[in-house]
Amino acid sequence: MGRNESAPADFPPLVISQRENNALRIAALNEQAELLGLKPGMGIADARAMYPGIEVMEADPDADRQLLESLADWCDRFTPLVALDGRDGLFLDISGCSHLFGGEDAMLAEIIRRLTQQGFDIRAALASTPGMAWASARHSHSRDRNVPAGQEEQTLAPMPLAALRLEEKTRTGLERVGLRYVGALIDAPRAPLARRFGRMLVTRLDQALGVVEEAISPRLPVSPLSAERQLAEPIGTTEEIERLILILARTLKPDLERRGEGARRLLLSLFRVDGVVARIVVGTSRPLREPTTIAKLLYERLAALEGSLDPGYGFDMVRLSIAVAAPFEMEQTDLAEGTSIAEEEFSLLADRIRARLGEEAVLVPALAESHLPERRARFVSSGKEIARPTRTSQPMAGGRPIRLLEKPEPVEASAEVPEGPPLSFRWRRALYRVARAEGPERIAPEWWREEKPGQTRDYFRVEDMDGRRYWLYREGLYGEQTAPRWFLHGFFP
Amino acid sequence: MARMAMAKEQIFALRRQIAKIEGSLPERFAVPEAASGCEAALRRYGRPEKAPAAGVPLSETGAPHLDAALGNGILQTALTEITGRETRDSGAVSGFALALAALVSRSGEGRETARPVLWIGLADMLSEGGFPYAPGLEQFFGLAPEKLLLVRANRLEDGLWAAEEAARLGSFSATILELRGNPAKLDLTATRRLHLRAREAGRALLLVRHSAEPVPTAAPTRLLVSPAASPLRETLAGPLPRSIGPPAFAVTLSKSRTGRNGSFVLDWNPHDFAFQERWPSRERQLVRKNGRAQDSGDLVAASFNGSDSAPAPWGGLAHGQERKRAS
Repeated sequence: MGRNESAPADFPPLVISQRENNALRIAALNEQAELLGLKPGMGIADARAMYPGIEVMEADPDADRQLLESLADWCDRFTPLVALDGRDGLFLDISGCSHLFGGEDAMLAEIIRRLTQQGFDIRAALASTPGMAWASARHSHSRDRNVPAGQEEQTLAPMPLAALRLEEKTRTGLERVGLRYVGALIDAPRAPLARRFGRMLVTRLDQALGVVEEAISPRLPVSPLSAERQLAEPIGTTEEIERLILILARTLKPDLERRGEGARRLLLSLFRVDGVVARIVVGTSRPLREPTTIAKLLYERLAALEGSLDPGYGFDMVRLSIAVAAPFEMEQTDLAEGTSIAEEEFSLLADRIRARLGEEAVLVPALAESHLPERRARFVSSGKEIARPTRTSQPMAGGRPIRLLEKPEPVEASAEVPEGPPLSFRWRRALYRVARAEGPERIAPEWWREEKPGQTRDYFRVEDMDGRRYWLYREGLYGEQTAPRWFLHGFFP
Repeated sequence: MARMAMAKEQIFALRRQIAKIEGSLPERFAVPEAASGCEAALRRYGRPEKAPAAGVPLSETGAPHLDAALGNGILQTALTEITGRETRDSGAVSGFALALAALVSRSGEGRETARPVLWIGLADMLSEGGFPYAPGLEQFFGLAPEKLLLVRANRLEDGLWAAEEAARLGSFSATILELRGNPAKLDLTATRRLHLRAREAGRALLLVRHSAEPVPTAAPTRLLVSPAASPLRETLAGPLPRSIGPPAFAVTLSKSRTGRNGSFVLDWNPHDFAFQERWPSRERQLVRKNGRAQDSGDLVAASFNGSDSAPAPWGGLAHGQERKRAS
């Protein structure tokens, strides 16, 4: 599929410049410029000399790339398998999709019609192999071409060698020996060709003819299950989208039941009329199948996106895919039915909170066998499948605070004796006088875990004059090179 | 003698008038009935409370005077507001909230089937005051790590939404919503929604506000919490000098269902999961000196900072509703 932005007839001749070998050359041009006789590859200076009136713009490869990607997103409506091809092409694998659009020819016509409506000058071709489709899109005379299966050889034979996606060097080498058309290669003995011009030549030929299988690499992973709705009248309001989600989720349920699976990750794709595609992903903590539950989760995500989801002129297609599915465990209801229901509610709430506040919003404590307080217990995202370390047998030596600062904060402390508890300390610019102190509890660094272990810490529980209780520690020992420093690490009730 | 009695009468009449102007209930100023043995402590709390109204689940705190002032315990199915003045008091304030959560989750159901506790913290408070630390929570409040779920919300709206959803659900024994300061969004409407959700689901919702001034909210109970010096560690040979014992809190009940207020110094017993009240004489020495929870010895607790903190704006409407429900 070729791409070339065309402009309305009353636009001035426009050429896009690109720097090649230290010279500005024409990379692309519009119809008006073409009519003047300009050609891609021509020097900008020459073109300007010939026609001073032309407008020159610099090429922006990044923007081109973005446009191509958004176009690929848009093409998602035809097939989930869309791949980028170079700077200006797209591969669509429509195996098993064409009947949805009334056959191959109708589908090809529809794609061309809709892209032309969007202002693209496109060339499209349909064939049994990616290589053949590429060749006939770029080198056939008609703008749309459906190459029937079995006619690859006839179609390819009169085409120039460039139709084979060859390297520049190989192509010029072949042309030098007088081989200008693909037909000349098809009948030629293969071994000498491969020896002289490399294996790639033969591979490309075989790929185009369908002797060797060629897979395109789709941009997005393919969902095992999806359901979609094409809408005659575009929708824009959240309520309408929500209603559709419920319908789509109901459509998916029988398939999930047949496969014995539930959704672990849901993908909602909203196709806007003007080609922009919004994708919304929601993860679940247990396999889901119930349409209402699925819908509820997506509602939360939609509600959270409310400002940023721009419906523009409306969405004309909505697709709900199950990106990741997992075996659905049939729950055996036991006598204590209440607990399982509570647990289900619990995980659903966690999913909904995650859907609205972000993946890292719901945290659970994870315990580890360690003496270092920050390693002993930390918070991890509950969405991740982690083996929750159960209670450890480690005896709790001293009292532990109920709040722990993420990062211990340095304090200036003064102590009566070097090794003793602090008498007063300054934290966040306020001075605290210590009324009582307990400690030290010495926690040694874990040298077996890290390359560069920290320093020995002496922890003190202190209470200030107002009754606040803190967990302070002194890092390092006296007599070492660096003087010990004091930190505040946690708070007691 | 007679003149003194008359003077007293006059004083009470004046107080009743003040109460009327302030829009609070006159009972709190009523002449206390002499109770057996603890008159000194009771005089501030008014009449001994009647038997608990049927149908309102309550959790006793273990401190008799606080229970009496609360109307026989903390409401299990309501929004309870716990306010601390400064961020650095976060240990005491969140500790008190957790103690209430422990009381609520322990009453009624057995320890094994205890439901989890949901802690919704706003991100700025979690980074300023520290994350909850699971080993400490288990040590002090018996809250097992697998029974704790923390939600970190970046915006107040998110936190309120999560709290509402959680309170509606009823699969948590208690939900703690923790935030800092006096955000304008946390107004009467927002707290009223929270309270109604908690009441419908029959679960406790604790609104913990750090570094905040008491402002009108729809919570039927408000407790101002500040740290208090802990009692000494008890050993076989008596109290160990200069040691730090169990957690202690200076609590001021500034709004309650019964309309009574008061200040208390409570020690938390981490083994029995109950509060213990300290004797007033000791209280006077131990409570911090800035007068916040100090026993002034007056018949009526002196108001501080100019006024009694935030009387209910609708003249005790929340209180009236509770009553209606109870009857």
